[in-house]
Amino acid sequence: MNLLLLYLLLVKATATSFSGLTSLPIVRNDLVLHHHVLTDRQLNAAVVAGRAGPGPYGLYVVSVGYFVAGVPGAFCGWLAMVTPAFLIIPIVRYLGARAEQPRVRSAIQAVTLAAAGLVAAFAVPLARDAITSVAAAAIAAASFLLLAATRLDTLWIIAGSAAAGLIAGLLV
Amino acid sequence: MTRPRLRELAALFFRLVNFTFGGGDPTMAALQREVVDRRNWLPPEKYGLAYALARVTPGTNVIAFSAAIAWFIRGWPGAVIAVAAGTIPCTILVVWLTYGYQQLKTSQYAVWAIEGMLAAAVGMMLAAAWTLIRPQMRRKTWLRTGALAGGAAVLSAVFNLPPIEVLALAAAAGFFWQGPGAP
Repeated sequence: MNLLLLYLLLVKATATSFSGLTSLPIVRNDLVLHHHVLTDRQLNAAVVAGRAGPGPYGLYVVSVGYFVAGVPGAFCGWLAMVTPAFLIIPIVRYLGARAEQPRVRSAIQAVTLAAAGLVAAFAVPLARDAITSVAAAAIAAASFLLLAATRLDTLWIIAGSAAAGLIAGLLV
Repeated sequence: MTRPRLRELAALFFRLVNFTFGGGDPTMAALQREVVDRRNWLPPEKYGLAYALARVTPGTNVIAFSAAIAWFIRGWPGAVIAVAAGTIPCTILVVWLTYGYQQLKTSQYAVWAIEGMLAAAVGMMLAAAWTLIRPQMRRKTWLRTGALAGGAAVLSAVFNLPPIEVLALAAAAGFFWQGPGAP
C-alpha cells in the first residue's frame, strides 16, 4: 500500500476518535474490510503489542502500520498518532471557552459513547478469529474481568494470558 | 514560573510518557506532580485547561495533553520536542514487539502463548468499551448512554453503516440530546 494513503487512512482514524482504542473500528473498516492489507488476527496482535509496553494506548496504530508496510509503515502509524495532538494548540488558543459549552461537551461525550459501542461491535469478528477453544474463551473473559474490575497492570494480564495459552496448549 | 531548557523538557517527557504504565491518566498525574508541584514550570490553572482540552482533542489524550503543556512552557518548539520525546522510544518498542510476534510464529510454544494473548486482546477491547460506558451508566443517564452506545453498535453491525458516519450521527444526537446528567 502507498505510504501516503496508509498515513491518510490512519490519521482519518486517529483524528476522528477521542481516546486510544476508539479508532479501532475505522482502522478495521479501512484496512481489513476495504483495502485487505491487514487481517483481523494482525489487528488483534497490534492491540496486544500496543498494550504490552508502557506509553499511550493509541500506540497500536504503529503496530498496524508495521504489519501493513514494515518500518516505513510504522513511521506512518507514529505520524498518524501524533498529528491530531497538535490540534490542541489552536484549540487552547482560540476555542478554550467554547469547549466548555454544554452542547459541545455533550456532542463529544456522545461521540465517545458511540465509539465505545463500535469497539464492542468490532470485538465480535475479532473474537471469531481469536476465540477458538474453551481455554481461549476463559482467557478472554478473565482479561475483561481483570481490566474492568481491578487496577491490575495490563502487562501482567498479557503475561498471564501468554502463560495460560502455553499451559492450555501443552495440556490439550 | 521557571523556564526550562528544551533539553530538560525533552528529558522529562521522555521519562514520564514512555515509562509510566497504565495509560493516560497515571501519566498526566505524574506530569502534574513534576511540572506544577515540583518544578514550578506551569501554573495549576493552565494545567487544568490543558487537561480539559486534551479530553476534547481528537486522538490520544495524553499526547495532546503533552503538546499543550509543553506549548505553554516553551511554545511550538517545546510542543514538538515533548511529543517526539514522549512517543518515539515507546514507538520503537512497539515495532520491536510486533517484529518479535512475526518471528515467533514459527515456534509451536510461541504460537500457544500468542493465541493466549490474542484471546486476551478481545477482553481488552470489551473492557476498553466498558470503561468508556460505565461512568455514564447512572440512574438518570443510562437511557441516553444505552441508546448512543447500543445504537452505534447496531448501526454498524446490523446496517453496516461506516464508523465515520455513525460517529457523525452520534455527534449530532449528542449536540441536541444532552440528557439530565450531561457534562
